[in-house]
Amino acid sequence: MPSSTTTSEVSISRFADTIRLRAVMMVAPQGFGYLGQALSSAEIFAGLYTHAYRPGHDRLVCSPGHYIIGAYAAGVEIGLLPEEALLTYGQDDSDLEAIGTETSPAVDLTCGSLSQGLSGGVGLSLADRIKGEAGRRVFVLASDGELEEGQTWEAAMFAAHQGLGALTVLLDANDSQVDGPVSEITTVEPIAGKWEAFGWHAVDVDGHDPEQLVRALDETGSDPRPSIIIARTSTRQGLACLPEDADGHFIKLPPDLAEAAVQELESRLA
Amino acid sequence: MRKPPYPTVLKPYGQALLDLAKEREEIVCLSGDLTRQCEIDLFRDALPERFINVGMAEANMMGIAGAMARQGLIPFVHTFGVFATRRPFDQIVNAIAYPSLPVRIVGFMPGVSSPGGPSHQAIEDVAIMRALPNMTVIDVADAVEIRKVVPQIVDLPGPVYLRLKRGEIPVIFDDDHEFFLDRAQVLESGEDVAVIANGMMLSSALLAAEALRGAGISVAVVNAPVVKPFDTRTVEAVARGVRAVVTAENHTIVGGLGTAVAETLAEAGLGRPLRRVGLKDTFAEGAKTAPHLFKKYGLSTQDIIDAAWNALGRTDSAPTAAPTPAETGEYAPV
Repeated sequence: MPSSTTTSEVSISRFADTIRLRAVMMVAPQGFGYLGQALSSAEIFAGLYTHAYRPGHDRLVCSPGHYIIGAYAAGVEIGLLPEEALLTYGQDDSDLEAIGTETSPAVDLTCGSLSQGLSGGVGLSLADRIKGEAGRRVFVLASDGELEEGQTWEAAMFAAHQGLGALTVLLDANDSQVDGPVSEITTVEPIAGKWEAFGWHAVDVDGHDPEQLVRALDETGSDPRPSIIIARTSTRQGLACLPEDADGHFIKLPPDLAEAAVQELESRLA
Repeated sequence: MRKPPYPTVLKPYGQALLDLAKEREEIVCLSGDLTRQCEIDLFRDALPERFINVGMAEANMMGIAGAMARQGLIPFVHTFGVFATRRPFDQIVNAIAYPSLPVRIVGFMPGVSSPGGPSHQAIEDVAIMRALPNMTVIDVADAVEIRKVVPQIVDLPGPVYLRLKRGEIPVIFDDDHEFFLDRAQVLESGEDVAVIANGMMLSSALLAAEALRGAGISVAVVNAPVVKPFDTRTVEAVARGVRAVVTAENHTIVGGLGTAVAETLAEAGLGRPLRRVGLKDTFAEGAKTAPHLFKKYGLSTQDIIDAAWNALGRTDSAPTAAPTPAETGEYAPV
């Protein structure tokens, strides 16, 4: 579909680059960290926080706790935590641990042990139903590596059985896990086909394209089935200065590279 | 207190939970495909809108329960003890124990009470639940304790693991029996040996004490249903007044009641010979019926008597447990 770039899409792209910049600055003091997760999910977080997720009303679950860096960065942009807090990221005694904890701001639930988030989302949705609280969306950010864990499928099957239409999974399909590309370790494809077979509404999108993300977020909000947005992404997106073989799970960021990254992002945001 | 053989009742837990849930709208009931076995068919039939059968998906069930508790509900989660603890341990840790949410995990068919083989025997559930920060761990002995414990745990701020016998539940205590979450109870006082027990081993402990008394031994019997937080004060005080201590639990002797008592004695600097009756670091195989396993693996009344005799340094032959034949519908310890 030919499209003119809208204000909303521009703001999502800028928001995403701001997440990337803040993530670089959080990781830089340690020289390595979960930057790849922020780079691949930046547009997903940006789309959520600017377009779909209403803090205090909707629920947002960050299933892979390593992605919490993106929520911290986005949270500053919408005033959920002060900018100075990011300086403590991953440091001793910080509330902002590198892998999400109970003290993590900017989300309603974060997990650390992988693939537990969808069950949490199911529980939040069921609680709304039992309490008669309609109209709330429950978003679960998940990752493609988490599809290897059985609990994902327990929860997927059960959510469809319960008809939890308020539930939307945003799957960061960045083809990255600790030991390398997901596709080299386990075949998780066809992702959409699997979820459809489980009774879900599935949408496959370019996870760095704001227009596609926005359309998917809108569309999934009105489907009576639980929905999954499969966002195809890259752990190097938005930072041309990163080496091609950068480890997507745990990117090394020595001072010169960090400086180059900051310059690249600041010039794009200028 | 009654004497064995004890009368039994059916579904005291299911009834207690239903009675409470009728007054407390926050209570929700989750089942892992073991609804009748966990007595919650009563809840399902009376309050279907608050009953959720999650199916055979214990990991998912614990995650759901934790999230529901975050929304102000009080989930009671039901399955057999093995599947309630062993299988979804990481989920209990992350979704329930670490955030200290008011989820009540109710595990049926404890220890060797199941002839279903090691896959169905919760022999280390107390140990692993007890190892978790924030978790309260309770192993009750009879229908009266069950009726009393359910309303007492509902408002605890953190999670609870409640371990329950399945099927016919003995009635050991009188109706006016008092149950305290923060106190072990000295049921009988004595000066030679203390027997500290809970759950299905309490009736054995009482019967063993009777046999020992018949042989001239002064026996204290302590009921310690709450393994965590453990009432170290009562245990220490009783242990000070005796020469030897015996624990009895329907569980491995690693990490459960016997370990809690050992830790208490050691930290108090109390040198008392200690014997732990329970599964001796082994899985339990080869049974058509549960009583066979209690005997085969050393969890019988006679094993408690022998342990006390040995702890007291007696080398002559120990007294024997009085036979307690039970009619159909009655319960007697092995």
